[in-house]
Amino acid sequence: MKKEQNSRQNTATMQSVLNRNSFHWLWHFTEGKRGTYLLSIILALLGVACMLLVYVCLAALIRELIGGNRDMDFYVQRGTQIGILWILRYVFHGLSTYSSHSATFGLIGNGRKLMLKKLNTMPLGAVQDHSSGEYKNIICDRIEQVEPTLAHVTPEFTANIIGAIAMFIYMMNIDWRVGLWQLICIPAGFIAFSIMMVSTPKYYPATIEKTKALNAVAVEYIGGIEVIKAFGQSKTSYGKFVKAAKEGADCFIDWMKKENFWQNFGMACFPATLLGLLPSGVIYCLNGSLDPANLIVLIILSFGTVAPLVTVFTYMDDISKVGEIISDMADVMDEADLKRPETSRQLPKDHGITLNNVHFTYKDKEVLHGISMELKSGTVNALVGPSGSGKSTIARLIASLWDVNDGEIMIGGVNVKDMSLEEYNRHVAYVSQENYLFDQTVMDNIRMGREGATDEEVIAAAKACGCHDFIMSLEKGYQTICGGSGGHLSGGERQRISIARAMLKDAPIVILDEATSYTDPESEAVIQSALSRLTAGKTLIVIAHRLSTIADADRIFLIHDGKVEAQGTQEELLTTSPLYRSMWESHVSARKEEA
Amino acid sequence: MYRMLKKFFRFCGETERKQFSLSISLSVFNALFVAMRIPAVYVVIKAILEGNLSEREAYEAIGIIIASILLQTAITMKTTMLQTRAGYNTASLKRMEIAEHLRYVPMGYFNNEGLGKVTSIATNTMESFSGMATRCVMMISKGIITTAVVVCSMFFFDVRIASVALITMVIYLLGTELMIRMESSDADGFTKAQDVMVARILEYVRGIAEIRNFNLFGKSITNVDESIDRFARYSTGMETTYEIMMFFLNVLNKLSGVVMTLLSILFYLKGSMSLVYAVMMIICSFMIFESLDMVGAFNGLTRAIENCIDKANEALSAPTMKIEGEELSPGEMTLAMKEVEFSYDEKKIIDRVSFEIAEKTQTAFVGPSGSGKTTLTQLLARFWDVDAGSVTLGGVDVRNYSYDSLMKNFAFVFQNVYLFNDTVENNIRFGKPNASREEVMEAAKKACCHDFIMELPDGYDTVIGEGGATLSGGERQRISIARAIMKDAPVIILDEATANVDPENEQKLMEAVDALTKNKTIIMIAHRLKTVRNADQILVVDKGRIAERGTHDELLRKDGIYKSFVTERSKAATWKLGRG
Repeated sequence: MKKEQNSRQNTATMQSVLNRNSFHWLWHFTEGKRGTYLLSIILALLGVACMLLVYVCLAALIRELIGGNRDMDFYVQRGTQIGILWILRYVFHGLSTYSSHSATFGLIGNGRKLMLKKLNTMPLGAVQDHSSGEYKNIICDRIEQVEPTLAHVTPEFTANIIGAIAMFIYMMNIDWRVGLWQLICIPAGFIAFSIMMVSTPKYYPATIEKTKALNAVAVEYIGGIEVIKAFGQSKTSYGKFVKAAKEGADCFIDWMKKENFWQNFGMACFPATLLGLLPSGVIYCLNGSLDPANLIVLIILSFGTVAPLVTVFTYMDDISKVGEIISDMADVMDEADLKRPETSRQLPKDHGITLNNVHFTYKDKEVLHGISMELKSGTVNALVGPSGSGKSTIARLIASLWDVNDGEIMIGGVNVKDMSLEEYNRHVAYVSQENYLFDQTVMDNIRMGREGATDEEVIAAAKACGCHDFIMSLEKGYQTICGGSGGHLSGGERQRISIARAMLKDAPIVILDEATSYTDPESEAVIQSALSRLTAGKTLIVIAHRLSTIADADRIFLIHDGKVEAQGTQEELLTTSPLYRSMWESHVSARKEEA
Repeated sequence: MYRMLKKFFRFCGETERKQFSLSISLSVFNALFVAMRIPAVYVVIKAILEGNLSEREAYEAIGIIIASILLQTAITMKTTMLQTRAGYNTASLKRMEIAEHLRYVPMGYFNNEGLGKVTSIATNTMESFSGMATRCVMMISKGIITTAVVVCSMFFFDVRIASVALITMVIYLLGTELMIRMESSDADGFTKAQDVMVARILEYVRGIAEIRNFNLFGKSITNVDESIDRFARYSTGMETTYEIMMFFLNVLNKLSGVVMTLLSILFYLKGSMSLVYAVMMIICSFMIFESLDMVGAFNGLTRAIENCIDKANEALSAPTMKIEGEELSPGEMTLAMKEVEFSYDEKKIIDRVSFEIAEKTQTAFVGPSGSGKTTLTQLLARFWDVDAGSVTLGGVDVRNYSYDSLMKNFAFVFQNVYLFNDTVENNIRFGKPNASREEVMEAAKKACCHDFIMELPDGYDTVIGEGGATLSGGERQRISIARAIMKDAPVIILDEATANVDPENEQKLMEAVDALTKNKTIIMIAHRLKTVRNADQILVVDKGRIAERGTHDELLRKDGIYKSFVTERSKAATWKLGRG
């Protein structure tokens, strides 16, 4: 039922299949599997050949039977031949399906690997524009759904289409007139389907719209259930949900009502090859131009012409679904890569950072308009400014989450675009609020900071970050598994382990992006002292909400509307910048009783 | 397969089950109408073999085929409608059932991940249920019934040939069942390989920033490729089992056809069957198992369908609590806990806690993360039911209130704010559905929202969220406070904001909180010394118990947990990054 509905969407969605980009990527994903697909086609063709031979044998058998041959041995012989041919047909068919499946599972694996690899080369900022759930959805779940279609398309299309055509040619060979007459049902079916399609533009958008509305209401109702209950609105909101759910079902039912007749009429017409075959055959028999035994043979053969084509038809909607999925994957694959060379062209002299007239556009809106900054090697630099000023964007550009659109960022006199990402990563440690811990031991998680670090070095880093004591109090000490996203540890503990990891890396440039606003305020003090040790002696770039934190910085950059509005030490800014002064005052008044 | 069918029909509602059954019963007639092509062929072949072929047979054949097409159309129109109605209505009823069920699930039960899962069940899973599952179940049921009908009708023509067909059908159906069994024995390794792969991919995606930061790409620790390949191998393995079974089933059908052909010829040669019948039987032997092939083809989807149904049932199995009670409005607002115990996941979170919160006082919960302070505030507002002891509001157990009448007394301000994908005005009005625009604006002004709302493209009519305006964390917080002000509940439960707030937002946020909490009972999870210091009562929570209680001055004198909390906090607040 659903499949016929969807076949109406084919024209629109087939375009997305044929969309050059999706096709390009699909072709790319088949890398190394093309031979297997070819094998699958060849096997399917062999299967078709066997099936054809079955009918040839059967035709001979029928002719003999009608002709009066009464030798049972002959029939047993023919029967055995037919039996063997059937077995061969399914052997080939099975092998074809098997190769096609193994190729498709390989293709899916390729797609997964390539997408994951892509996440490593595209700008990290672009990666983080989507949630991990969205990536999981496409990389794990959605891609899996291409399997039934892609794996079956090769053998089934080959078998059904080529089989039907071969059968048709065979029939034409026996009697071309009857062969053509049997096709009379096809225009009848097409006419019915065309009439049916007339109402599609009217109903199809409605179903899309209602389904979207239903999903939106469901997301709101379930996602907002806490708020709904807290405000005692569960009855009202439930009512809305019920209405949307009913409408979501009704629109499909209404559509089906409208198209019911033509759809089912069309489906009944298509396979009715006998409609033209029987009368025309009878007429030709009567006028002597067709051997009646051949008519009987033709009748049997006609079951193998149009019916398989109808089977192919049912795959169409699935193909369009595959098109959608591939085009979603293409969206990931089409992201531009971060423009960094494989090997560095030049190595930095020191650990100072220079920004020259940096422009950056995010989602079609320029957010940084010509930023120039000079951060001297080994100094503490703070970025401050109202929310939306662009200070975080600057830190993220320096951290190579994005490439600049215009201007340049230099580290030790070298443009970052001339450094390999690996080289760059050796120089820069980026510490944000969320630092992921892998599902490994505490020891291994910290060791990720520097490959090949000894246990002693790991423990030394942990001690320096004030982690050692709480790690030792864990049941298995350093061998404790952190669990996905560090589940067994508190937010503060996780943060400290990730700081220890960064410490082990010992990069000369440290970027603290809001790392000082804590998910776990109770352990703020210990985290702060860990950060102090991590950053000692480094070139430090820090974004802090609490202005007092950065009051001693060597240089404070005040960012406003995507420009550097003022820079200097705290004292300098308090006298030169009214904006900074007002920010400082509101900070002080919000915090006055704090200490 | 039969287990799946049973599950499917149990899953459907009463009306829908009847519609499905009727549709399946009617498909018997459809099978007969499809089979009408056999008489059409019979008429022609009989005339040919008897040597009296005339134009009459041509007309008869056309007549029968046209009748067959029209009758098929008529009956499938009926069955399609029944099926469509039943399929979509089942999905829509299940959605409603899930939504209804959520009203009774304790508010604390769902974390974001859990809610995401339920959402996906109510949308995606139910969508594929109404399409794929329904179609597949119908195809399987119809396939079985159609074949059964055809085989039975064959008994009228020739018992011997019909018996062969019957035996074939029985073996075939047993075979499909065996196929499912064999598949599920493979399924363990498959599922495990899948879980490992999903876990590794998720870890890779979530940890991508670290992988790049520490140059870990391709290192064994983050190596997902191996798990992807392994899963592909297991998938292929599963498929192999399936293909082998399908091979045997297909061959069974075809060989049975050959046997039927040879038997017919034998009977004809022996004289116990006419030539016309023999030829007809040969033709039939090629068509009879078409419907069975359908059963086999759809059989592969059985697991997916069961999966759909299991998921929906899982969403419906979340624990519930009784929310019907009396419509009460308490005379006074004293909140009290008496000897409250509460466990979650078999772990005791709250251990015999008692305290009292007087009307219009300010109570601060203080303690390390994981101590249970959040759970305590949740228990007060009945996000959960206590395991032992009682929570009372105005001297009445909270469980005796109807949920809505209890909730009238509370307003919440949490750190993660949920705003609806609706206009700013409607979001604020959610606190009081019949409020006028003026009231909404007044609340917005009190919560320091008015200015930034007026700067939005459509002011109060701006839609928030997807396709609308994006607001900063602080702005969202303040809108949620305006919403709470609108509600004007006597008890405010507040989780003090700490993260992600800029200085200028911070001050406005504090003003907004002050406006909300004026003359109310305030219960807060406090992080700020200033607010703690002003509290009438401080409850220091540690390991699920109240470790210390009193006012700021009293507790400072005790030199306990609270004192060290205060010292740490002041140190943190004045911390400076920089030289020396």
